[in-house]
Amino acid sequence: MQNRRDFLNKLCRGTILTGLAATTGILVFRSAKSGHCEIGSSCGNCLKSDSCTLTAAVLFRQTVWQLDPTKCIQCGRCAKNCVMTPSAVKVVHVYAMCGYCDLCGGYLKPDTKTISTAAENQLCPTSALKRKFVEDPFYQYTIDEALCIGCAKCVKGCDAFGNGSLQLQVRHDRCKNCNECSIARDCPSDAYSRVPANKPYLLQGIESSSDKNNT
Amino acid sequence: MKQKIMIISALVLLLVLVAFMVNDFFFSKPDNTNPYEFELESVRTGDTTMTAYTETRQIKTTLEEIHGLATDALGRIYIAGKDGVEIFDPSGKAENKFKIGGTAQCITVDENGNLFLGMQEHIEIWNDSGKQLSEWNTCGADAVITSIAVLGDDVFVADAGQKVVFRYDKKGNQISKIGLKDPATGVPGFIIPSPYFDLGISKDGNLWIVNPGRHSFEKYTFNGTLLSSWGKASMAMEGFCGCCNPSNFAFLHDSLFVTSEKAIERVKVYNPDGSFRCVVATPDQFEEGTKGLDLAVDKQNRILVLDPVKLLIRVFEQPKK
Amino acid sequence: MKKNLALAFLISLFAVQFMNSYGIQRFPKPEFESGYIQPETLIPNPRAEILSIMDTAVLLISLSVVSWLVIKKRSRNGVFWMSLFALSYFGFYREGCVCSIGSIQNVTLALSDTSYFIPLTAIIFFVSPLAYTLFFGRTFCAGVCPFGAMQDLVAFSPQKLGSRLNAVLGVIPYIYLGLAVLYAATGTDFVICRYDPFVGIWRLNASFGMFMFGGVLLVAGIFIARPYCRFLCPYGVLLNWASRFSRRHITITPSECIQCRLCENSCPYDAIDIPVTVKNPEDKRTMARKLIFITILIPFLMFAGGWTVSRLHEPLAGVNAKVKLAKQILNPVTEKNQIETFEIQAFKSQGKQQNQAFAEASAVLNKFYSGGWILGGFIGLVFGGLIAGRMITKHRTDFTPNKGTCFSCVRCVDYCPVKLP
Repeated sequence: MQNRRDFLNKLCRGTILTGLAATTGILVFRSAKSGHCEIGSSCGNCLKSDSCTLTAAVLFRQTVWQLDPTKCIQCGRCAKNCVMTPSAVKVVHVYAMCGYCDLCGGYLKPDTKTISTAAENQLCPTSALKRKFVEDPFYQYTIDEALCIGCAKCVKGCDAFGNGSLQLQVRHDRCKNCNECSIARDCPSDAYSRVPANKPYLLQGIESSSDKNNT
Repeated sequence: MKQKIMIISALVLLLVLVAFMVNDFFFSKPDNTNPYEFELESVRTGDTTMTAYTETRQIKTTLEEIHGLATDALGRIYIAGKDGVEIFDPSGKAENKFKIGGTAQCITVDENGNLFLGMQEHIEIWNDSGKQLSEWNTCGADAVITSIAVLGDDVFVADAGQKVVFRYDKKGNQISKIGLKDPATGVPGFIIPSPYFDLGISKDGNLWIVNPGRHSFEKYTFNGTLLSSWGKASMAMEGFCGCCNPSNFAFLHDSLFVTSEKAIERVKVYNPDGSFRCVVATPDQFEEGTKGLDLAVDKQNRILVLDPVKLLIRVFEQPKK
Repeated sequence: MKKNLALAFLISLFAVQFMNSYGIQRFPKPEFESGYIQPETLIPNPRAEILSIMDTAVLLISLSVVSWLVIKKRSRNGVFWMSLFALSYFGFYREGCVCSIGSIQNVTLALSDTSYFIPLTAIIFFVSPLAYTLFFGRTFCAGVCPFGAMQDLVAFSPQKLGSRLNAVLGVIPYIYLGLAVLYAATGTDFVICRYDPFVGIWRLNASFGMFMFGGVLLVAGIFIARPYCRFLCPYGVLLNWASRFSRRHITITPSECIQCRLCENSCPYDAIDIPVTVKNPEDKRTMARKLIFITILIPFLMFAGGWTVSRLHEPLAGVNAKVKLAKQILNPVTEKNQIETFEIQAFKSQGKQQNQAFAEASAVLNKFYSGGWILGGFIGLVFGGLIAGRMITKHRTDFTPNKGTCFSCVRCVDYCPVKLP
């Protein structure tokens, strides 16, 4: 009786172990080489590519959340849904794309009588977008990240009236990288996706230098 | 007894938690209000009481891409774009169409009926039967030619890339550059963030050039002396918004300015002194993101608008009172 | 030890760095004459990837240490301090993410959706506690899981619940597991992460709802020890079954049980099986009847469960974003003061085709239908097993920890007077 029980025990244990090993094998094999290169043809240690030769390195890749500014409809949920307060999603200014306009579509309310830094003229509810005179007629606009709540008002304005140099992005020094992003779950335009941790930004108009330190 | 109370109350808490989870998961609705909403729709539609024109006709073009629009003294309509030029008679009937080697960004017609085409960094001159007459290559490799105006023996070429207006003679010799920044004579210099830079010659023989970065119209003599300027930057109807507007303009018969903009796609009319007069077309009449609404005025003082997204020429008239 | 030193050295080399980016101008850059230098857009990096190797190492080392403390040293003190370490490392330092409980969802999604990338860390977090449990029992629960550590800290007045209550409430984790797997496999939601009670505390930043959820659970935990572990944890279901077949398991007595009953009330979790002697042993006929009853009951319950849940596949699927969108397209907003949902606005502005949206939604609904049969069958099996378990009495002479539900916390060991020679 005891021997039978022991045998059954051993059998079940062996079965479960085999199941675990099989699961691990399938997942590791799939994650290592599957699909095509999504990030680009130049190898930036991407996650899964048939042409990837760095199998071991690939397995230790991590992914982080990021939003695609071309899909964003500036609905304001990034400010509300993030588990962190204030939100880990903030506006980023791509200076390379900015027109440095006096009449900034992202800074000023549309019905302003005068163009100045007066609080009643500013779109930003927390006054996080700062304006500074550079030279005639150019003005520099910078974002004070500590104040920005990620509401995307300025993004909408810049997109409509300007070059679209103000973009909403997940900031990785603040984002907790939850297993499931509570903003991603509710994004109406499905703009959130997981991207490789060594290419963690999806900014328009910027060619980010590939990581020099993460090998 | 105390034990039972403790157990029951703890169990109740547990069940409350499960109920909370079920309720939150299945029955909660995501909020559809945005407390940070930036209402743009009213800015896009604007005040419709100021619209004084209605769209009366549309002329279809068969070209793949269209960029330039012009009219001649007879009222014929010329459209230039990718690999071709199309010519219509004043009633909108297709008259001629011929191929050109490349994409024309702008077009103008002189008093002899010759077509001046701005082909990115050089100029080609064709006649209306489809024969190329000459080519001028002296603008420079970085040139982005966005507009040409001709009067008599003078040809003025607007170059958005090098931010200057060239003056040529009819033979193709470059005579001078107009509009370079010169604090001594008060010329502020052109601010051109995007490839939209228009110019035109008014009835009184002066050269009007749009300075898009400064949202202003500048009046120059043919020799390059700045005479005056007007223009206001504002998102209201009376001004020009964004980083660089207006993108195009044309003259109506009584020296009124008709202007077109991008970002908020509008066509407006200004008085000769620069004061706002009325609206021709509002943003809801165009596809969002339409750029490059080239303008022309025909013999009957009708406003022709080139719609590069819908591939049409749209004719606007003031309704007869 | 060497491994730790090497890791520490590597880690010290890699700090989170700020990186600058280089721009390509879409429009010509304004020509600045005053010598103004355009600032670079800062793009701070996320947590260095090499640190995930450190997390995995800490997990494996902790599992090994705790298993040794439980099986060999039988030290309550050791396990307690290890659980505090786990709370600080996996709880407050790593802020509870990624965790073994949540890894169920990652693994499920990775198996059902080939385009989903699962990092090796998540696979190891899923597999290693189960593997260790197969050999040593639920040592993960005792000293490595931060959830368990949190709840252990507040268990001041644990009450005995009785076997019936434990059995009935013990069904909830199976349902939770089934739903979590269903929703993860269909790519709808990670339910376990959504209703994680303690992650807000560990991040020191939570919404009111999240905080109350954790708080209420901890308050309940004063009287019902480890409420999440016993009555909610979906991973606990898997650990329970792995532990039943474990090679070694903690025993109360180091050698022989003398039935002194000193350990009877020592377990806060009702996990000790007491000796069962039957006065009138059942005759073969009753046992055969019971067997036939069970053989008929279980398949019947599985079928009934599968049928019921598959009928509910539409409301279950209603949470899925694609299904919601399809519903909104089918019921467009007609009243004036009702605003269009953002989803519809985005759908229109992206110019997607309606029939594509419908196709996606119906694919999801089909998945929920077949998933519903499987889930229902599983729940039916669970209920059947519950009833069958109550019908079968196991004879026992000694006080032993229940192999499935014992968390190996080593509290009971100190109550046993038997000492090794």
